[in-house]
Amino acid sequence: MREAVAVPWFSAGLKEWIFTTDHKKIGIMYFVTGLVFFTVAGLFGMILRFEQTSPGFQVVSPSFYNYLLTGHGAVMLLWWAIAAHIGGFGNFLLPLMIGARDVAFPRLNALSYWAFFGASVIVLLTLIPGNHIKMMWTGYPPYAAHADAGVTAYYVFAIHLLGVSSIATAVNFITTYLRMRAPGIGFWNTNLYIHSLIAANVIQLIGVPSLAGAVTMLFLDRYLGTNFFNPALGGDPLLYQNVFWFYSHPAVYVMIIPIFGFFSEILATFSRKPIFGYKSMVFAIWGIAVISFIVWIHHMFTSGVPDWARVLISYTTVLVAVPTGIKIFNWIATLHGGAIILRSPMLYTLGGIFMFLIGGLTGIPNAMVAIDLGVHDSLFVVGHFHYVLGMALTMGIFGAVIYWFPKITGRMYPENLGKISFWLVFIGANIFYFTQMVAGFLGMPRRYPDYPPIPEWVTLNQISTIGALILGVGVLVFLVGMIKGLTSGEKAPANPWNSPSLEWQIDSPAPVNNFGEKPPRVEPDYHPYKYGAPPAF
Amino acid sequence: MEEVLAYPAKWWNEAVLVWLVVAVVIYAVTALPGIYFIVKYRFKPGEREIGDQEKHGHWGLEALWTIVPTIVVLVLATYSFAVFKKQRTVPEGAMTIKVTGFMWGWQVEYLDDKGNTVKTVVTAYNPTSYEVPEEQKIVVPAGKPIKVLLTSMDVIHAFYVMPAKIVEDAVPGRITYLWFQINKPGEYWVFCREFCGTGHSHMFAKLKVVPPEQFALWLKGETELAKRSNDI
Ligand code: HEM
Ligand SMILES: [Cu+2]
Ligand SMILES: [Cu+2]
Repeated sequence: MREAVAVPWFSAGLKEWIFTTDHKKIGIMYFVTGLVFFTVAGLFGMILRFEQTSPGFQVVSPSFYNYLLTGHGAVMLLWWAIAAHIGGFGNFLLPLMIGARDVAFPRLNALSYWAFFGASVIVLLTLIPGNHIKMMWTGYPPYAAHADAGVTAYYVFAIHLLGVSSIATAVNFITTYLRMRAPGIGFWNTNLYIHSLIAANVIQLIGVPSLAGAVTMLFLDRYLGTNFFNPALGGDPLLYQNVFWFYSHPAVYVMIIPIFGFFSEILATFSRKPIFGYKSMVFAIWGIAVISFIVWIHHMFTSGVPDWARVLISYTTVLVAVPTGIKIFNWIATLHGGAIILRSPMLYTLGGIFMFLIGGLTGIPNAMVAIDLGVHDSLFVVGHFHYVLGMALTMGIFGAVIYWFPKITGRMYPENLGKISFWLVFIGANIFYFTQMVAGFLGMPRRYPDYPPIPEWVTLNQISTIGALILGVGVLVFLVGMIKGLTSGEKAPANPWNSPSLEWQIDSPAPVNNFGEKPPRVEPDYHPYKYGAPPAF
Repeated sequence: MEEVLAYPAKWWNEAVLVWLVVAVVIYAVTALPGIYFIVKYRFKPGEREIGDQEKHGHWGLEALWTIVPTIVVLVLATYSFAVFKKQRTVPEGAMTIKVTGFMWGWQVEYLDDKGNTVKTVVTAYNPTSYEVPEEQKIVVPAGKPIKVLLTSMDVIHAFYVMPAKIVEDAVPGRITYLWFQINKPGEYWVFCREFCGTGHSHMFAKLKVVPPEQFALWLKGETELAKRSNDI
């Protein structure tokens, strides 16, 4: 496979892409696949939104709505919120930020991608009518074992392949970080993005098997007649929920922690100063990772679990606010005394932090069990997690795309399109999701394609759709910007933002063999956030 | 004194208000300084080209925004605990009904003192409209706490009593419960809030709250009817 690595990505032929073991090419493939799926799932989301605009069934039937919603949820979470940026940016940036030649196991890395690709094919197969899965991404039994739920098996196999992919990636990344840092890169001068990436992958390594186990039992129940979850024969549907959320709650931190890493990198660069409280940031990341494993029952506050469990987990859940709070306060403090440049990656970052602040504050009512008893499974929850996952995350990724665009493609992302798309996404998302939260407080349940014409609900849903349209246009502008940057963007210098971080010390686009034959020289006082001269643009 | 529409909605509303005040305050102390810094510390060529490299941390401040939020969230969680206890403690003298979910409707059983079913109301699945025939409405007395015992015949559903702001899952093979009390006669919505398939968004019911005397009459009158239809 050596020869494949010898060709830069822009002159690589199909065969080199397929057989490559180069972390940069694999990263690009991951991200492009994720982005395509994001676009499709986004279209699904728009259709859902149009259906909910007014009472009655106008656009799709309820059963097709359920398919679209299952697809939207599963693809947004697993393809966009995990694979696209962990597989994409994680692969691209990890070796570059620690001064390594590649990841520790390049061929395993290719296997990760192709397992992910296999899962993608399975998901595409569900587009065929008759193959629809309609049990929602959560797949709760006994419903998932019912004929109305569609072809459960597709979901199970997709999760298995994704699981293989995630576990291989986690082993690879953790080993790479432990064993392949250039001399001079230690725990306390590693980029915060890398700290976040490793924490996220540790969670993956511990959690993914649990999810795989949950869906495997689902499969056995549905097709082979076992009774793990069948109460009539001694099974228990709540067992599934416990095993499922034991991973799927920590999974939301797998999704968001690396985004926190993007925020930290970009915020420091465009404030031209070190991140405030670097050490407390590292502790916060690991604090979140640990607490994330003891809060899953907050997804089951109304499922009939004993009251003491609800109260106990209510306490552990609110504690997550502490490390996330530390991060937000540190980011704000980073701005103090900075020399702030509002380039589009910075706008996306500030917007993302703002969205996360609202998302965090609206997470508290879900954690306070007394309030959750009234909002559980309402549109409030949908609004809340679109603030954190939907939008803080997507804005983080968009910011990261623009920020590392020069290093990945060798060209600059068109700044004007970056700014325009930011404002559209930011304004649209706030209109969209804020109204959803209000509708939820007024009682509107989630996963409802139809609802009675309660006047407040109707008004809120109509405003919400206007927001979604603005958001949709914003996303399109962003995608156009990517194509424009790729085809006709300005040639990028090696270090356009004048950042001391290692990945910027090599050419743009990153050369095939990264730093050359020898690891890069890292000064004894190296720190990724030590800014000197102002940037060149 | 203002009349309370429903329990536990009253305490729920208070809890939401408490959260909202706290959230707005936290929002203000976080976002406002942020916006101020963005405006004030702007990059200016020749004047402010580089941030203050010395401002990279402050243990006092970092400890402050670790300890204060910890206290705030623990207080909120404890307050929520207190409210939760009221939400989950069925008041003395409550009337019990048994509600069983199925795809996609509800079967409601009224019990006598000995726990025998004296009357059953079933809401039929109506995939196209939200109209409810009179005899399918769940009738309950006003001003009296109602304990709802929940279970399901097939998949998981959830019983959301909209005016009372309370929901609990109906799980096959388990019995769960919630309680509520509505003081004002009228008609109110009940929705299924756990995804249960194609008919999920049409799995609803109408709660008809009537004065207690009227409820007693309704319960008796219809019992006779139910008997007669059994004979046939
Ligand atoms: C492109 C813009 C987006 C639109 C228009 C959109 C729209 C929607 C709508 C209308 C719902 C259904 C609400 C319901 O009936 O309960 C929904 C659910 C959901 N969305 Fe999005 N969304 C978008 C982006 C995202 C993103 C970026 C993510 C995650 C990274 C995401 C994750 C989810 C999840 C997990 C659900 C819940 C699925 C379920 O109930 O099982 N969405 N979205
Ligand atoms: Cu239901
Ligand atoms: Cu339902």
